[in-house]
Amino acid sequence: MKVVVVKPERCVGCLQCRFACSVAHSATLSPFSAPFEDILSKPRIHIGLTAGKEPFPNKCRHCDPAPCEMSCITKAIYREAASGTVLINPERCINCGMCAMACPFGVIRYHVFIDNKTSAHKCDQCIARQRQGKIPACVEVCKVGALLFEDYNANMDRKTDEMASLVYLGIRGQEHGQGPYPSLISYKRLLKELKGR
Amino acid sequence: MDYLIIGMSAAGLSCMDTLLRVSPDSRITVVSGEKFPPYCRCLLTYCLSGKLREEQMIIRDPSSLPPNVRLIAGNDVVGLETSGRKALLSSGEEIRYDRLLIATGAHAVKPGYADEQKRAFTLRGIDDARKMAPFVKGKAAVLGGGFVGIKTALGLLERRVKVTMIISSAYPLSMVLDAGTGRFVERDLKELGLQILTEEDITGLDMKDDAVRLSLKSGRELEADAAVIGKGVAPRVSLAKKAGIRIDLGITVNEYLETSSEGIYAAGDCCEAIDIARKRPWINAVWPVAVEQGYFAALNMAGIPSVYPGSIGVNSLKTPLFHLISGGILKETEGVTIFEDYVPSTNQMRKLAVRENVPVGMAFYNSPEDAGVVINLIKKGAPLAVHPEKIVKREASVMDVLKPL
Repeated sequence: MKVVVVKPERCVGCLQCRFACSVAHSATLSPFSAPFEDILSKPRIHIGLTAGKEPFPNKCRHCDPAPCEMSCITKAIYREAASGTVLINPERCINCGMCAMACPFGVIRYHVFIDNKTSAHKCDQCIARQRQGKIPACVEVCKVGALLFEDYNANMDRKTDEMASLVYLGIRGQEHGQGPYPSLISYKRLLKELKGR
Repeated sequence: MDYLIIGMSAAGLSCMDTLLRVSPDSRITVVSGEKFPPYCRCLLTYCLSGKLREEQMIIRDPSSLPPNVRLIAGNDVVGLETSGRKALLSSGEEIRYDRLLIATGAHAVKPGYADEQKRAFTLRGIDDARKMAPFVKGKAAVLGGGFVGIKTALGLLERRVKVTMIISSAYPLSMVLDAGTGRFVERDLKELGLQILTEEDITGLDMKDDAVRLSLKSGRELEADAAVIGKGVAPRVSLAKKAGIRIDLGITVNEYLETSSEGIYAAGDCCEAIDIARKRPWINAVWPVAVEQGYFAALNMAGIPSVYPGSIGVNSLKTPLFHLISGGILKETEGVTIFEDYVPSTNQMRKLAVRENVPVGMAFYNSPEDAGVVINLIKKGAPLAVHPEKIVKREASVMDVLKPL
């Protein structure tokens, strides 16, 4: 199952993902007309500041089991079986506020949706775009690679491989007498060189 | 494996769904006393207000159930034979099981004066709402200042019924909130148009022509079309008691939600599992907790040992004027400090009760965004990584709070 993976250490806080998210969920789907729609489309990804004033992108993790799905009294929140994405059916939502109470990451907001009806609002992993074969809008616009769209396990495997390569390079460097601990930057350069071959 | 689930509400349904996920080829029998398809009783007040139709309360279509699930509606389990692993239905049928879940739920507490002939109703099932609806026309009295009482009152208010709330304590929601927050709720409820009488109680009911006359403790008299009683719920444990299962107030369970009898599990409003904030067995009769317990009971029933981490009492109250989310116990007792922050311009208030750096209770008023984060911290029962003052003043983000966990 592919999900949007967040790398907070890479985020620079440009908020482009928020704008792209709003546009992708607007009625006209265009950045030029979306800000002038009657019911403004609201972003579903939130950038907060940590105590160290660093940006932290926060969005729905599509947990399994999902606490919001469990606490939803109208079963408006459900899991799409095919992709594992947790979705909200605004028609069934009665705006009771139970899901915000249950969400351990604080990503659910309440906004006017259709016919002046307020409903819960959260990331749907751009399910409409995915059906057209596109990747989620926030991932598409992220310039620094803080948002990735991939399998969790694949992401972790890659990270493990990189770490293993770095360790290997370090040991090899030591054998070649290049000082005991060359800097991490030179390791990374070596790694890049190795990948390029 | 043959599974039997008694009760088809929050815990029963959640258990059935989880069992279908973790052991899809087992046979599941669900026995429910209600003839109506599975519905959510939290929506009754919305139904009463006219916001929802009856069929919109249905959360599961019985015709969509897979073939290995057998639903027996309108039948009660009258007896359990724990040694032979058999259950006897009111229709006379006998059902054998390997694992049993008791999710019989709770019934509304009826004080001595409650009498449907005198138009004093409780609101628990769909039948109650059907019985009550035709009587309420212009004036109603709601007894009890809990979440159910307030939601019922607001539901009736939406039908342009003049509602008087009679609360025996000094402020509404006195079971979970401290006085300060309770006064806030009272002020805003009054602004919405409710009439609230605190420190009052009903001493007697009299029918007079087409109205019920309530005599109150202070000597006042009140006339209404009907009185709705929201004095809490009591677990339905008579079946378990007859079968010889250990009972305290609810059904006693261990950390795997198994009762004193092997192979029998309990979940939902009838089950007395551990409360994290109180650190002792307690019944938190709310929907999300029941669903969670049903999930954990199903895992254990299917042979996947999963320790139930415990629950806290949580609830959310959304009105046109405010959105209150409360969790745990927000009470100034010994060793508990309450941190609070109030923003008058936006009418936002955040309160967090902390005992020895471990959060035990919270109430967020008009600030639903990170309420879930704080409730989750209370559920974890771990010491806070940031100063509680920072949490209530919004100076700490999700990352700071969750990083050490």
